[in-house]
Amino acid sequence: MRILSEIGSYFLLMYRVFSKPEKSRIYWRQLLLEIEKLGINSLAIVAIISVFMGGIITLQLTYNMSNPLMPSYLIGLGNRDTLILEFSCTVLSLMMAGKVGSNIASEIGSMRVTEQIDSLELMGVNSASFLILPKIVAVVFISPILFILSVFCGIIGGLIAGPLSGVVTVAQYMGGIRTMFVPFYVTFSIIKTLVFGFLIATVPAFQGYNVQGGALEVGKASTRSVVNTSILILFFDLILTQLLFK
Amino acid sequence: MIEIRNIRKSFEGRPILKDISTLFEKGKTNLIIGQSGSGKTVLLKSIVRLLEVDEGEILFDGRDVRKMNFRDLKQLRQEMGMVFQGGALFDSLDVADNVRFPMDMFTTMSSGEKDRHVDFCLDRVNIKGAHRLFPSEISGGMRKRVAIARAIALNPKYLFCDEPNSGLDPVTSILIDNLIKEITVEFDITTLINTHDMNSVMEIGDNILFISNGEKGWEGNNTQVLFTRNRKLNEFVFASPLSKRIRDLKQREDDE
Repeated sequence: MRILSEIGSYFLLMYRVFSKPEKSRIYWRQLLLEIEKLGINSLAIVAIISVFMGGIITLQLTYNMSNPLMPSYLIGLGNRDTLILEFSCTVLSLMMAGKVGSNIASEIGSMRVTEQIDSLELMGVNSASFLILPKIVAVVFISPILFILSVFCGIIGGLIAGPLSGVVTVAQYMGGIRTMFVPFYVTFSIIKTLVFGFLIATVPAFQGYNVQGGALEVGKASTRSVVNTSILILFFDLILTQLLFK
Repeated sequence: MIEIRNIRKSFEGRPILKDISTLFEKGKTNLIIGQSGSGKTVLLKSIVRLLEVDEGEILFDGRDVRKMNFRDLKQLRQEMGMVFQGGALFDSLDVADNVRFPMDMFTTMSSGEKDRHVDFCLDRVNIKGAHRLFPSEISGGMRKRVAIARAIALNPKYLFCDEPNSGLDPVTSILIDNLIKEITVEFDITTLINTHDMNSVMEIGDNILFISNGEKGWEGNNTQVLFTRNRKLNEFVFASPLSKRIRDLKQREDDE
């Protein structure tokens, strides 16, 4: 019963979020700030993690598939498709749910407990739309960019780790990267990142917006938002994979 | 003028406000006093419809706030200013931008006009040279004054202050009280103040509503409050030995 009530409250909040902004110029300013805070500031961590993961995937594939019957290009191909299909969209989104999601929940939660949201409402500002809409647009806009950056960095990571450890040559690796490329995989993953981006922004925003109490509750809401977003990301990953690959 | 009629509010079946009716007059400082947990903040938030009451009428110059749709309520709220207990300044904006925020949202003033009005509002609350400081960089008293400046930025008809003196030293408290009183008279607005600060009661209590356990316990002004026979109010007002001594001295003076 409580879950149904929470789902209902979530959709009611979304209804308020997607109402017409009071002053579009202010919203644009907010949007640019959010893109910087939630997106640009995540570029470095995404790049670092992706480089390492690309290298690790390459090494794992090499050690686990070392068989004279297996063509050497499979290493590059496997790394590329793993990055495109799951790592750079799903795993990266799980990581973003932790970094960006907890940031959103704690920021909005703190504003709630310090009455800043009440203050906005009392001025006649639609606080839900003012605070949450720019975050949703920013995260949904930046997610595909982070995905592309992650794939690129992951491939570079494999290119560094593979030849350096001597398990694969640059030519073999790059041959694999160019082999049997399916453009739909990229479309599929971008669709997933857009859905995950929406979840990463809205679920923590919902948790933060409905905080009641003090600092302790803000912390709990932040943790709950990361857990809930992660579960929903995996759930929607399953659904989207089934729907789009059918 | 704000009138409330037979207000009732409960949380999960527990009554918090029980049939409260009163009139808050224009151009006067109307104080709502009572112990912590008596329902003062719930009453104030119900009046501005941050909380929905279960029953009753809340009339802003005859306009029933409970019957308003979202658009009318939004319109009415632009006639209100509120000073929250902790100031509720936006952490991400500096002092000047906090005061400028309502103007950015709801006026078509030019940038220069906004700057001049920000200066006027901050001057009015005696803040100088702090325009570019952030809320975390200023004192509690300054934060309250900036909150007052923001509250008067759109020339409100109604000003609400939720415990404006909490956490402040006596000297700063008196400054804040006097400032609110001056603004009320100067702009001829209806001001409601939630407080349990007895200095405020004595200094600026033009109209006082005493709430006890969610009920209206007493109504009067700062002269009447000294000599009331209401037992609960006496227990609240003269809780400290010092205030009892002051009352006795005042009574002796009057008798002589």
